[in-house]
Amino acid sequence: MEHVKGLLAKVGIDPERLEMFNLSAAMGPRWAEMCNEFTEKIRGLGPSPIWLATYRLKRNIKE
Amino acid sequence: MITGEQKPFEEIWNMVKDFKKVLVFGCNTCVAICHAGGSKEAEILASLLRMRAAQEGAAIEINHAAVERHCEPEFFQPGMDNVRTYDLILSTACGVGVNLLSEHIGDIPVFPAINTEFFGAVPRSGEFTELCAGCGNCILHLTGGICPIARCSKSLLNGPCGGTNNGSCEVSPDIKCAWVQIYDRLKQLNRLDLMNEIVDAKDWSKAQGPRNFKVKLLEEIKK
Repeated sequence: MEHVKGLLAKVGIDPERLEMFNLSAAMGPRWAEMCNEFTEKIRGLGPSPIWLATYRLKRNIKE
Repeated sequence: MITGEQKPFEEIWNMVKDFKKVLVFGCNTCVAICHAGGSKEAEILASLLRMRAAQEGAAIEINHAAVERHCEPEFFQPGMDNVRTYDLILSTACGVGVNLLSEHIGDIPVFPAINTEFFGAVPRSGEFTELCAGCGNCILHLTGGICPIARCSKSLLNGPCGGTNNGSCEVSPDIKCAWVQIYDRLKQLNRLDLMNEIVDAKDWSKAQGPRNFKVKLLEEIKK
């Protein structure tokens, strides 16, 4: 995970956008909790640079 | 095996940014073992370059492929029609592979994505150490199997220098003094007499390129 986070940082992507969670198939409520927490975290970070770049590119083409 | 490490990402990006269709071409032998240039690393590098290209607004098609060896044409020749559809081949093979592919590919540039370092052993997974310098004139029978050319910082042939310090080299305490190792090994082999053998000044012409050789037996069979 640390290695992949380092690779993302190299290309300007916040390593915080990647996380790994370990849990068993019997931990449904915890799974939902993690998904919600991570979704909120990503919302807080805003759109990814790749998404923004692609969006701008598409918008320019339309314009 | 031949070892190498991937070049800094910025250096690689600066090599590829002005091309339109790039193939990151991996080699699945030596450089795959040192996690620098196998198919997995070629795929990851291609992915990172696509991410960078997207952010820079650079319209570059970047794909990846790999063959078992870049140092023998028979391994890459079958796929050359596809390889020749690219503007640039970014090779993650060692320098030997980059040279040979350049020779065979025609008018397409082949750039190196890794820095080729040395040929070394793998004492533990993920750890590489230079044990032989390929100098072309082996004296390991006189030095207990420990190469002073590759393993002594000064490549001394007749014993240690004054910088040997409690078994370490003056260059770094992490480097073992090759001549202390040679002494210990010869003692273990009961061949300390070999320490008194004087090795003549080395003929370095055998260590310098361009070098090549042919296997005589195969030459005779061809005749």
